[in-house]
Amino acid sequence: MAEGLTGRRILVVEDESLVAMLLETILEDMGAIPVGAVATVDEALDVVASDPLLDAALLDVNVAGREVFPVAEALKAKGIPFVFSTGYGQGGLPDHWRGQSTIQKPFTEDAVKAALFKALGVALV
Amino acid sequence: MQALEQVIDLAAAFEASTNPYMLLTPDLRYAGMNAAYLAEVGMAREQLIGRPIFDIFDGGPTAAGAENVRQLRASFQKVLTTGERDHLALIHYAIPVTGPDGVVRHEDRYWSASHTPLHDVEGRIVLILQHTSDITELERLRRARDDSSTVSALDMLLGGGVMNRARAVQEDNRRLETERNRLVEMFMQAPGFVAILSGPDHVFQMYNDAYARIVGRDDIAGKSIRDALPDLAGQGFYERLNSVFETGEPYEGKGVAVTFRPEGADRELTRNVDFIYQPVRNHHGTVVGIFVQGHDVTDTVLAAQRQRLMIDELNHRVKNTLATIQSIAIQTARSHEDPRTFAESFQARLLSLSHTHDLLTRSHWEGADLRDVLEHETAAHGTTRIVLNGPPLALGPAAALSLGMIFHELATNAAKYGALSDPDGRVFVDWTVANQTSRILGVVWREAGGPPVSSPTRKGFGSRLIERNVRHDLAGDVKLGYASDGFIAEFLIPLDRDTQQHG
Repeated sequence: MAEGLTGRRILVVEDESLVAMLLETILEDMGAIPVGAVATVDEALDVVASDPLLDAALLDVNVAGREVFPVAEALKAKGIPFVFSTGYGQGGLPDHWRGQSTIQKPFTEDAVKAALFKALGVALV
Repeated sequence: MQALEQVIDLAAAFEASTNPYMLLTPDLRYAGMNAAYLAEVGMAREQLIGRPIFDIFDGGPTAAGAENVRQLRASFQKVLTTGERDHLALIHYAIPVTGPDGVVRHEDRYWSASHTPLHDVEGRIVLILQHTSDITELERLRRARDDSSTVSALDMLLGGGVMNRARAVQEDNRRLETERNRLVEMFMQAPGFVAILSGPDHVFQMYNDAYARIVGRDDIAGKSIRDALPDLAGQGFYERLNSVFETGEPYEGKGVAVTFRPEGADRELTRNVDFIYQPVRNHHGTVVGIFVQGHDVTDTVLAAQRQRLMIDELNHRVKNTLATIQSIAIQTARSHEDPRTFAESFQARLLSLSHTHDLLTRSHWEGADLRDVLEHETAAHGTTRIVLNGPPLALGPAAALSLGMIFHELATNAAKYGALSDPDGRVFVDWTVANQTSRILGVVWREAGGPPVSSPTRKGFGSRLIERNVRHDLAGDVKLGYASDGFIAEFLIPLDRDTQQHG
């Protein structure tokens, strides 16, 4: 089931190091390659601009007091799928981003996996 | 066209009139009068000119006299404030009369009077013209009629009836005047803002102090709303007023934001208001104006916004804390196969985190002192075994939480494998703050007297957590040294960047 993510490079934007570590662990367990994690919007924009091999991204909505949406725009412009992670769930997203694949903190491994599969258009089974 | 003045001499006509006339200045001094007036009051011109009317006609020494003076003065005052003519249908007013014996007495008189403002070219009132009639004889007739038992229809018609009506009208006027004054006063002093707009252009006819305060100007009387408050353009208020005027339907707004740019102010001012636009109709039912009434609810709106933000922030922090704990649980589980040691280790990490939360709660999440953060670990292992040395240093919430976790990992590691695993071992924690362009905290954790140290073969969760926390969360640097005589950890952490919370 995890084959869909094997070798995929996934950017992690998360300012809380323990949460970032957890996401990296989960990604590694799925065979994916975590990129980052980065803790600010600016660093994330740098990675999006400079890494041509990104397959997807996990974006904490509120990074170090700033909203991550500029990063989401940059990814969208490049056609790179992404998943928001937030304490608020879908309700915490502005209308513009409603419907975007989202995981709610705290999250299970399965939730991260399902959201990434959905974003990447990979079949779950 | 020939001016009237050139045709007849107006002053001569005034003087010759059989109707008594007199002119008062706005401070109620005699400015002029005609012969009929002088004859009526029994005075000479030079006794009156330039003197205050109420010095001469003080109404007599009685309480009724004082009330009569009040009524007359109120009528003048009304003329001066409204700029419009006022009538006193009947006023009882005693005047001093010198008797044949040379003694001055107050003689009861009944008057009917009208007071007309005279304006200069700029519209200011310069004089009040009084036209009086002495109707004492009529009043005496009425009283005689009341006293006698035979009342003729002619009496009713000519005397008493007219007098009674005049008296009633005057009484009504006096009551209405009092009522009106009370309403105007309430209107002016109302804590909410009130204004009356007249006509299709919404001209300010009246507004109170609260209205002047909220719009930030007090020069709007007689101006249309677009001229008086041009800063409201594009905010929909003109259009709403038009619609109320056209449809006659009242409009109610709740918490509506309105932005003013008061004259002289260098920035805009936005307030939230609850208000109502109520159409004012004439006796035909046609809308002739709009009554505006409301109050400033900015503080309430701001408080609600603040509360929403606080709840969002609280939710955000709680969810992040839960995710952190989830991470600690999962990572701790990976390095402990035995559920018992897992539980111990997990709980110790949880309690360390909780301790820092307690410190932060005590300061309302403003921060915590570095020594207080470290003391959780000295309490667990003994103050003589972990020696703290450094100045008081206030840490922001994020730095306090990170350093709390970092020192917990260091102390746990020292207790398991390092200096604290030996009864003679010690840990020395020294910190200083380098005051360069921005402050940098330097911390050294040095272990001594423990078993010989060697580099670990693989990085455990503890050292990964330390490195990640310092670099990722604190944007600092850390060096972990495994010299054989004791483990050493050196930190460099920029301060003054903890303006935001963990996000």
